[in-house]
Amino acid sequence: MAYHFDFIAVWEYREQLATGALHTLGLIAVGATLGVSLGTLGAVSRAWKIKPFDKIFTVYVEAIRNTPFLVQLFFIFFGLPALGVKLDEWTAAIIAMVVNLGAYSTEIIRAGIQAIPRGQIEAASSLAMTRAQIFRHIVLRPALQKVWPALTSQVVIVMLGSSVCSQISATELTYAANFIQSRNFRAFETYITVALMYLVLAFCVRWLLNKFGSHFVNGRKTT
Amino acid sequence: MDLVRIDAVHKHFGSNHVLKGIDLRIGAGEVVAIIGRSGSGKSTLLRSINGLESIDDGQIEVDGEKLTAGQTDLRALRQKVGMVFQQFNLFPHLKVGENVMLAPQVVKKMSRADCEPIAKAMLAKVGLAEKFDAYPDQLSGGQQQRVAIARALAMQPKVMLCDEITSALDPELVNEVLAVVKQLAVEGMTLIMVTHEMRFARDVGNKLVFMYQGKVHESGDPKELFANPQTPELQSFIGAIN
Repeated sequence: MAYHFDFIAVWEYREQLATGALHTLGLIAVGATLGVSLGTLGAVSRAWKIKPFDKIFTVYVEAIRNTPFLVQLFFIFFGLPALGVKLDEWTAAIIAMVVNLGAYSTEIIRAGIQAIPRGQIEAASSLAMTRAQIFRHIVLRPALQKVWPALTSQVVIVMLGSSVCSQISATELTYAANFIQSRNFRAFETYITVALMYLVLAFCVRWLLNKFGSHFVNGRKTT
Repeated sequence: MDLVRIDAVHKHFGSNHVLKGIDLRIGAGEVVAIIGRSGSGKSTLLRSINGLESIDDGQIEVDGEKLTAGQTDLRALRQKVGMVFQQFNLFPHLKVGENVMLAPQVVKKMSRADCEPIAKAMLAKVGLAEKFDAYPDQLSGGQQQRVAIARALAMQPKVMLCDEITSALDPELVNEVLAVVKQLAVEGMTLIMVTHEMRFARDVGNKLVFMYQGKVHESGDPKELFANPQTPELQSFIGAIN
């Protein structure tokens, strides 16, 4: 009684799979943009001890990095309505991803900011630049440049982690997989297909971020 | 008329009393060399003149801009005081020209079109006009330091602070940097430099300040002091160098 593989049974649901993949990409596009922005604010607050934000971000980072993403997501989607905050599944998913990535990228980008030699900042200060000007013109790009590979990895991790958003009925890729295998009972074919799709998505996101990094972050052709 | 007035300046690093009441007057166009053993407070004094080190007591005044203990807004003062560092501290992600133009654009809100001729003129002054589009890491140490001088000059400061600007250079590159500084002195720029280049201090400087244990121990005309040091400490310092 050898198992008879039937990938046609998955192919029939190609539209759901394509939609799911697009939704996953959409989630990470918005999540990464806002998450890394939040992380940048957190990183500069912590690295330069900007009161009171440095303390607030410290508590936030520890709270998020020491609790499971699924619990964070459930708290936002199922817990917050108790306070009258009712969110649809997409808003909840995006907020959860932004909050999660924001915490991790705070720590990643902080490392980059702290790796900027003090002399650079002193030179800029001696030219009468303000702290905000120094951050924007002297610190930000080299700091991101130093940690870009780590940041790219974290974005991919959060994209793969977004599969748990299926649990609040956000119709992303894993939701599509669950839906399909409950219809065709082809769990092996469905999940191996979706796993391969995640693999391809992850490669694409990594490639895209590398491209973006060498263009906008490095801003300089490497010879 | 004094351009720089330093009055009773004190500075502590924790329990270490680094500056113990410094008084100094520097006139426009003077070239001042600060010498002394390491730990005598000479770099701290220089760095306090543009507020990179805060002072605990006393007052510093540069061209009418006052700096006192606990002061936080230093931008007006810093626009009048340029600084060149031992480690060059060029911004590695910006081209040479952008390094020079950044502060005029960001601080003085000048347009790029207005900044470019200034930047090019300053780079020409230090002999690096052709390096406008190079990146700092494509330059030698001596060239980087000359760019750093051009970058400070582009803000048109009244005083230039030089903090051991040849100490990180290979010996054969020292002279190209000193030649630029000498040219600035000849053109009438007020220079305050912490230096180990004693011959340069004697030949180009017109005031020598010898610091010892956080105080100005002896000061005056460099040629006279080198020939005829009054205190045993300066005598032994000069003796140790020669």
